[in-house]
Amino acid sequence: MDVLNLAVAAAPSFIASSVEFVEALTIVLAVGTTRGWRGSLAGTALAALTLAVIVTVLGVALVTYVDRHVLQLVVGVLLLLFGLRWLRKAILRYAGVVALHDEELIYRREVAELRAQGLRKKEWDWVGTVIAYKAVLLEGLEVAFIVIAFGAAGVAAMNAAIWGAIAAGVLVTGIGVALKHPLTRVPENTMKFGVGAMLTSFGVFWTAEGLGIEWPGDALSLFAILGVILVVSWVSVRMLAAMLPSGARVEARNV
Amino acid sequence: MSDLLRAIWENAYGLLVDDGSLAIGALAAVAITWLFASIAAESAERLGGALLLVLVCALVIANLYAAGRNARRRIS
Repeated sequence: MDVLNLAVAAAPSFIASSVEFVEALTIVLAVGTTRGWRGSLAGTALAALTLAVIVTVLGVALVTYVDRHVLQLVVGVLLLLFGLRWLRKAILRYAGVVALHDEELIYRREVAELRAQGLRKKEWDWVGTVIAYKAVLLEGLEVAFIVIAFGAAGVAAMNAAIWGAIAAGVLVTGIGVALKHPLTRVPENTMKFGVGAMLTSFGVFWTAEGLGIEWPGDALSLFAILGVILVVSWVSVRMLAAMLPSGARVEARNV
Repeated sequence: MSDLLRAIWENAYGLLVDDGSLAIGALAAVAITWLFASIAAESAERLGGALLLVLVCALVIANLYAAGRNARRRIS
């Protein structure tokens, strides 16, 4: 596997995982600052262990034992569904139809809820542990899915995708520990837009490959697919902006 | 424990399906591409990827147009 294919697996995995780690970090910080760090870090460590088992068992088993075309098709379709969901939400946010994702607001809401639950200082904080575990596990499941999807090309791609995700985790955690505050300055909405477009592009690419269709230029065609998806996304944002009065926002579940 | 398992299942399902019509549309696009790839002549088979891309793009625009109409109806 050449450098281009490895970069194609590692870079999107890094960016997509960063977004998920930022969201998990917000909850872990909220638990840590309101209820103490022992429960928060224990929950995080347990969730990381659970995820490592999931990625190792599923990921390695998939790329080692499942037929390449079948794996590409299954991963491609899942990636297409996953990517379209992200892209749709990102376009609706950019067009002003639904509210932008606000990490500061989520952090404050979480802190208020955790404080309201009270704390017994002499006992192990199971509430904090479970909340941190659930947050890291659920956001981490998305990371696991991303890693498995981007690493579907084979063992080398899987390793590249895993290292991309690990690098994102180390970077986000490092900055979070240094700042002790949610990463509100990370352009999360823009990153989500980019990730949605990338996931959809990979979904189209792998699905077609899984159906036995060859792309001209192989992995290089991913850039052309991404370009088309980005143009369509921009057209969609303009279309929605023209359809709705400016400043009008509705609940995401209503669209 | 059952709460956690339910949360994991809901999260896993929610990862893939947010809007049912978009998910069904994506699966239909894959099925059409598969049909095309199975019946097309070998020389035209390479167009299958482009067909899937066009179908996905059309699906995105159609779904968001419907979402925009829904949102406009709720606002007015």
